[in-house]
Amino acid sequence: MSNPLPSYKTALDELHRYVSRFIPISKQEFAQFLPYIEIREFEKRTIVIGKGEVERYINIIAWGLVRKYLPVRNREITVQLASEGHIVHSDLSFHYRIPSSSVIETIEPTVFFSISYESLQELYDLYPKAERIGRLLITDLFVKKDNRYFDQLRKNTRERFLDYVRSHPQMVQRVPQKYIASYLNIKPETFSRLKHLTRRGGASSAKGQS
Amino acid sequence: MLESLRRYVTGYVALSNEEFTLLAEKIVVRTFDRRQQLLEPGEAEHYMNFVVKGLVRMYFYRGKTEVITNIAKEGELVSSSASFLSGTPSHYFIETLEPTTLLSLTREDLEDVYRQSVRIERLGRLMITQFVMQKEEWEHECMRLDTRERFTRFVEKNPELIQRVPQKYLASYLNMKPETFSRLKHLVRKRPAVGKPSTK
Repeated sequence: MSNPLPSYKTALDELHRYVSRFIPISKQEFAQFLPYIEIREFEKRTIVIGKGEVERYINIIAWGLVRKYLPVRNREITVQLASEGHIVHSDLSFHYRIPSSSVIETIEPTVFFSISYESLQELYDLYPKAERIGRLLITDLFVKKDNRYFDQLRKNTRERFLDYVRSHPQMVQRVPQKYIASYLNIKPETFSRLKHLTRRGGASSAKGQS
Repeated sequence: MLESLRRYVTGYVALSNEEFTLLAEKIVVRTFDRRQQLLEPGEAEHYMNFVVKGLVRMYFYRGKTEVITNIAKEGELVSSSASFLSGTPSHYFIETLEPTTLLSLTREDLEDVYRQSVRIERLGRLMITQFVMQKEEWEHECMRLDTRERFTRFVEKNPELIQRVPQKYLASYLNMKPETFSRLKHLVRKRPAVGKPSTK
């Protein structure tokens, strides 16, 4: 929002820290990966990848905010809201090399650190550490995905709303409400109503939702 | 018994005999009767399982309703994977539907072979990537396709499961009412994919 303009260096340090969560990696080792990373900048409200295109990149958000959605008949179903440090790409398209059925669009001006499909294969071939990071990253993603899937199925509307708002307070400020509602599979009207509820009574009563 | 596993693995990475042996040495063969429970929610999943023979389902309860999330047959993997990979308690039940033989590997053993071979680590990465993609594909299909399309797609991909799996389980897996499943089954049998969808 009103952050001072972030620098690439800070963002890359952040990326180094992120990768180090999975496996200890020195500055020098990390520096070997840098030539494989492309920096891509987008204005707000720009389509990064459209339906039918083949995804060339896996992207890590240096700064900015994007959403990924599935165009379904006359609706758009938001499947991901991603900000700094998150990975976003049209993954089925990227891995299977098929046309994308989803769309990725920026909400704010956004900068990606991107690695192309070819570069990624080369990294895996050349650096065993990259292979391990890749495995641990995808494992982490799988576990998160499974948890989210399970939450969606098990929690009711109110729980989904409250949990998201509590764990993503900054997203609630930055993302248009209708996108969050779509992401949580909640009607926009219901979303507004729930928002009022939380504002007034803190986390108290408000019974009768199921 | 290891042959089918070898074929499966080769679909991802061509391992040398030595590399495959590293993996094979760690494998435990487990056999079960039909209708045996292998895991329940709250327990940690210790194994990644490859189905050599039989049929296994994975499910959980939403209220009082069973929701089936996976039906695994010969040549496929089954495991409460998130629990297996993270060590957290499982959300799911796993139960055999037929007498079943599994080739199983513990997480510790798997980590151990990863350390010994980068190519096996690659195998791990590619397999988990495949899990993620399948999950993603399934979610997208649920959003994009209507009931009838989901049914048709499933039948095309898994013709033999229609014979082997109780209909109510398939209905649950496809997230439709058992009545809808029966109706679609009749429709499909009579005239394969012509005319416009009668509903909606």
